[in-house]
Amino acid sequence: MRATEPVVAVPADGRGRQGRTPSSEPPAAGAGTVTVRVRDSVERIALATVAGAALAFLLLPVAIVIPMSFSSAASLRFPPSGLSLRWYREFFSDATWRAAAANSLLIALVSSGLAVALGTLAAYRLVRGRFRGRALLEAHFVAPLVVPSVIVAVSLYIAFAKVGLLGTYPGLILAHTVHSVPYVVLLMSVAIAAFDERVEQVARTLGAPETTVFGRILLPNLVPSLAASWVLAFIASFDEVILTLFLFGNRYTIPKQMFVRLELQIDPTITAVATLLIVFSAVALAALVALSGPVRAALGLRPSAK
Amino acid sequence: MTADPALPRRRDLAFLAPLFVFMLLAFDLPILLMLGWSVSNPGLTLRHYAIVFQVPVYVKVLGNTGRIALITTVVCVALGYPLAYWLRGLAGWARLVGLVGLVLPFWISILIRTYAWIVILGNAGVVNRTLQAVGLVGAPLPILYNELGVTIGTVNVLLPFFVLPLYASMLRIDERLLHAAASLGASHRAIFWRVFFPLTIPAVAAGAILVFMLTLGFYITPAVLGGGRVPMIANMLDMLINTFPRWELAAAISTVLLVLVSAFYLVSRAIRTHASY
Repeated sequence: MRATEPVVAVPADGRGRQGRTPSSEPPAAGAGTVTVRVRDSVERIALATVAGAALAFLLLPVAIVIPMSFSSAASLRFPPSGLSLRWYREFFSDATWRAAAANSLLIALVSSGLAVALGTLAAYRLVRGRFRGRALLEAHFVAPLVVPSVIVAVSLYIAFAKVGLLGTYPGLILAHTVHSVPYVVLLMSVAIAAFDERVEQVARTLGAPETTVFGRILLPNLVPSLAASWVLAFIASFDEVILTLFLFGNRYTIPKQMFVRLELQIDPTITAVATLLIVFSAVALAALVALSGPVRAALGLRPSAK
Repeated sequence: MTADPALPRRRDLAFLAPLFVFMLLAFDLPILLMLGWSVSNPGLTLRHYAIVFQVPVYVKVLGNTGRIALITTVVCVALGYPLAYWLRGLAGWARLVGLVGLVLPFWISILIRTYAWIVILGNAGVVNRTLQAVGLVGAPLPILYNELGVTIGTVNVLLPFFVLPLYASMLRIDERLLHAAASLGASHRAIFWRVFFPLTIPAVAAGAILVFMLTLGFYITPAVLGGGRVPMIANMLDMLINTFPRWELAAAISTVLLVLVSAFYLVSRAIRTHASY
């Protein structure tokens, strides 16, 4: 059972010391307890300070981008000297940004669809199958999470150059699918493992072929998880920079456009894009939470096994 | 769960084949092709590897990357351990808020977070203007576009990768051990240093290796916060592919990186699976 209080809350520190050496320093015992207590609270405050500072350091960039996007100035002053929607207007009126946004959406839609299809099919037999080398196979499917993107980018660059996929939509879609399929495999594996296998067995006993068990028994029960993994795969593709930078030639997606502008000059339009992306992520995250909780309950499922 | 003696059945194959074939074509084959490039032209040769480890430019970038990764790891441990320990001690809402804060950055593009550091650390940035306003420094401190700026960026991105697994492993520690130590009269400093801390060492080691490994592949942070002056391995790969095409060399460097990352990953995973408490 998990205690809500840390070790600091374990009682009997002062008493413990006295108990161990009861006769050596009896007159100082009372005072000793007090200093120990003071030191404890000092330690506790020091811990909270360091931890709070670490958390603040972690969240500082997040906190600074949103106000910046409403700045009226072209400089990068924080806090902004005036407020305006100028950078949002800039974003929506700029044809390069719009083209990049269209590319991002298209590639994220197709690659996340592919990733969900391939990943869910594989996750089903990874979880339910009983065969040699299953763990190895799963490790293989999840490997792109571990291998640095830049290595995947270099290897795909060389391969795509050979088959003429460099700078093409199909090429980048394949690359993004490699990048996002591990998320689907991991998430769907958890979801399928949490589904009662006996339901599938009953269907099979009643003569349902494997495709029916999968398509008409399992999948309809996993709609929330499917949606969640689709959102994850979509975001993974939508946020991807490195593969896109290497493999998309002179075409752009939103992150690639942002990166190129970041390297070239300071352009506050990026803060507007950043804020839009944060809002986008927040909506997706909210959808994810909504899909995993109430929707599951509405579908009469047990709460997901964690 | 472990030893499944059977071979895959037909119904297994039907479902696994699409992703397997896809991964074979779009992941395994390209990597094999890359390994091939790294040892070819002219003929079968190791000269590209010799270049990587002998020509000063490349050695310097490898060294830079290693140093930045090491510093990042040390800072992540120093900041992350107290943070994980503190979160463990929080209750209810406070803990939830802390955890949300910890995972929030995952939902925000790394580009955006990196960009924010330019606003914070630049010559006209928040930090420098504050320091100058207070009168602590006359001229702006050079925090951005150098190794310090890059390291701040890498720590910022990787801190949650260290804290989350460490926090999870801290929660798994059997509370009764701590109570036992307390009832035997240990001061809670002793409980921490002689019971709690030793139990978390495997998780710290695994997390530190993970952070080190992840830093080795960083591309965006050094490109943006280093301003081109602090190239790491990935930035060098970008140049070898996109600027002056030397694919053999890029392939050799990628292979070295791949071997390093795989080794670190396996060690990190082995530590985690063997530390069962």
